[in-house]
Amino acid sequence: MNHEIHEGLETNPAGASHPAHLGTFVIFVVFVVSIVSVSLAAAASVWDGVYTEEQAKRGETIYYERCVVCHGAQLEGGDMTPTLVGGLFTSTWNDLPLSDLFERIRITMPLNQPSTLSRQQTADVTAFLLKSNKWPAGQTELPRELEPLKEIQIQALKP
Amino acid sequence: MPRTAIRGALVVTSLTVGLLWLTVGVSGQNGQPSTAKGEWPHYNADLRGTRYSPLDQIDASNFNRLEVAWRFKTDNFGPFPEYKLEGTPLMVNGVLYTTAGTRRSVIALDAKTGELIWSHSYREGKRAANSPRQLSGRGVAYWTDGRGDERVLYVTTGYRLIALNAKTGSVIPSFGTNGVVDLKVGVVKGTNEQIDLETGEIGVHSTPTVVGDIAIIGAAMREGATIETHNNTKGLVRAFNVRTGKQVWRFDTIPRPGEFGNETWENGSWSANGNVGVWNQPTVDEELGLVYLPVETPTSDYYGGHRPGNNLFAESIVAVEIKTGKRRWHYQLVHHPLWNYDMPAPPIIADVVVDGKPRKVVAQLTKQAWVYVLDRVTGQPIWPIEERPVPQSDVPGEKTSPTQPHVTKPPAYAREFLRVPDDLIDFTPDVRAKAQEIIKRYRVANTPFNPPMLGDVKDMLGAIVPATATNWPGGGLDPENGIIFAPAGNTFGVRTLVAPPAGYSDIRYVSGIAGRPFAEVWGPGDCCAADAGIVNRENLPQRYAPAAGSPPPPPVPGLNVDGLPISKPPYGLLAAVDLNRGELLWQAPHGDTPDNVRNHPALKGTNIPKTGQPGTSGVGLVVTKTLVVMGDPQITTPPGRPRGAMLRAYDKKTGKEVGALLMPAIQSGSPMTYMLDGKQYIIVAVSGGNYSGEYLAFALPNADPRRETR
Repeated sequence: MNHEIHEGLETNPAGASHPAHLGTFVIFVVFVVSIVSVSLAAAASVWDGVYTEEQAKRGETIYYERCVVCHGAQLEGGDMTPTLVGGLFTSTWNDLPLSDLFERIRITMPLNQPSTLSRQQTADVTAFLLKSNKWPAGQTELPRELEPLKEIQIQALKP
Repeated sequence: MPRTAIRGALVVTSLTVGLLWLTVGVSGQNGQPSTAKGEWPHYNADLRGTRYSPLDQIDASNFNRLEVAWRFKTDNFGPFPEYKLEGTPLMVNGVLYTTAGTRRSVIALDAKTGELIWSHSYREGKRAANSPRQLSGRGVAYWTDGRGDERVLYVTTGYRLIALNAKTGSVIPSFGTNGVVDLKVGVVKGTNEQIDLETGEIGVHSTPTVVGDIAIIGAAMREGATIETHNNTKGLVRAFNVRTGKQVWRFDTIPRPGEFGNETWENGSWSANGNVGVWNQPTVDEELGLVYLPVETPTSDYYGGHRPGNNLFAESIVAVEIKTGKRRWHYQLVHHPLWNYDMPAPPIIADVVVDGKPRKVVAQLTKQAWVYVLDRVTGQPIWPIEERPVPQSDVPGEKTSPTQPHVTKPPAYAREFLRVPDDLIDFTPDVRAKAQEIIKRYRVANTPFNPPMLGDVKDMLGAIVPATATNWPGGGLDPENGIIFAPAGNTFGVRTLVAPPAGYSDIRYVSGIAGRPFAEVWGPGDCCAADAGIVNRENLPQRYAPAAGSPPPPPVPGLNVDGLPISKPPYGLLAAVDLNRGELLWQAPHGDTPDNVRNHPALKGTNIPKTGQPGTSGVGLVVTKTLVVMGDPQITTPPGRPRGAMLRAYDKKTGKEVGALLMPAIQSGSPMTYMLDGKQYIIVAVSGGNYSGEYLAFALPNADPRRETR
């Protein structure tokens, strides 16, 4: 990152005439950006209301269509399928980005037809799982793209 | 001793060792690979099922300094990654052979670097997606004639036996039909009806057992809790010539009319029942010329009303001749099986001294936490196994066996039944009181043979049985002193039956509970093969799925108190049993206390011991000169380390944990070890949760001295 900024300064004609000023500006921008990203990272856990009630409702419908057969009406799991609620589930996924759970569902589920949920459906089902584990709903929907999901941390215990 | 003298002694020792290695190495070129040469030539290290290697470079003093030497990701051996990688690689002559990925590809890796040498895959489409044993399986078998012909054999997801050239990975054209033997040909259901080659139900996860020029192949069927018919595929074991692929013999595990044991299927019920496979690794005593078959459960798992009688050779160890497949003896561990106790682990072969007399024994670890020790020449118990009366079933149509064999020695290595109230959780008086209330809804018995019962949400919920002590990974043996090591789950499960939904099954009762929506039980191998996406099984299970928005079924108290297991810890353990004296030597809780137990609000301020982990039945081990090494079955995030699962080393003698390494995922396949260019490696398969299948290789850092003390 620093290296790229340095190169930018050298090739920028404006930078040549006001090197000190632009340098300060760049440092300022980097400073602000890092503040923002730090605060984002700190704020983004499953405790911060990262999905909406409406989305979880959509996810519940998909869950009953595609997942309930194996994981059960109360997400309790079966003889051979993992529970999706409670301590075993939350400790398995503890300290991982939400994108990991999203990708596991998207790639391998449902097991009789892997990789057949769309990204949106996967996001909705994930929202339903969050709600089922009593992580709170919020004002914005859980995104379906991987990058922002990587910024949301699964934390079993409330920080 | 002066320093120079020590040096001199060391030089002499190294020379001797070097000469020994040379001798072994030279004879090895014409002979067979072995653990004595630092290799790992069979799934269980050897044909005796020991999982033992005499290597000693890695020990208690340096285990924690092991580093990841290399890792091999298996994601691309199939159209999507696998999250249940269960293989144990073989190592012969510096090359590793194993299976990988949702396609169950076979791979050969440079054992030093993990570099891919070759890979092979066989595309089976729907046939693989129909298999009851999908995913990568447990690995491969190796064969050599000692004169340069080296072969790798494996069974595909769709139940074909394939022989590959170990040097190139190409199929051996002279074997079977262009390298392939269709194992489904000759497999029957009913009286003698060939199963469909594409949709017929059979498969196997275990590896071929290669002894001499013979490859022995078992069979596995669908998980039998909620299947659609009792008249499913019949179990069998076959031997094939490794050079030609020609069938040498066949042993039918359900005896046909006129054969020994047919009458144990009363009312001719042999004809309309199936299963009784051999899904784990058989073991072999080459000197005696015998193969020991661990034979599993008949259809269906928990209801035997359609198969009155003892049902030979279900849940038996059967000794057959290597050359002919002829039965020499059998010992049935469970009569008229009703618990799916299977024969969950390879029978382990040991030479021990009992009461001053050398004895050749075979020791069977089980789901019911007993190790059955038999004379492997005669099949007779070494210590008394007593036929004792057992509780009788009240399920309509069921005819329980009046007695069952009970092991009297060695003592159970984990809980074989629930003792109330002694085994109930007692962290606090409050959780104990809750546990005692919950357990009133279940039927307990002072025996593992507590018969399944009809469950009802408004009444009794089921019969309590051990939740599975030892499962498919089995245990290991120290052949030098006759001590067997057993991973064991130490919690409880429930057997409960219900009439299936109309039209679902011809079996009168299947697994379930009245008043709850019917749920089809899928097995661990029922899914996720490479081409699973092209099969549509949606129609079948979804008929029984509750619709969204329908009122939730009444909650029933499970075997937990607010999420805590209803029984006391340890929830999982590693046990050592002396097969000479029939004594339990030690039990060590295996795995860190689960997060949800450690952090449980009801236990604030209580001192929670290391509980071990209930999934321990699902992890296997490797035994070395001084250690037993086994990984965690569950992810934890205890204070002081990042989230993960540990690969643990135990002192063989004491059970004391002497080292632990952090892994990114749980152990999903049993570890193995080998020596190459002076360096000992441990390989373990990890996967699960967010982490797709990966083989992890551990070794000491390059500059590390051989031992801390030298």
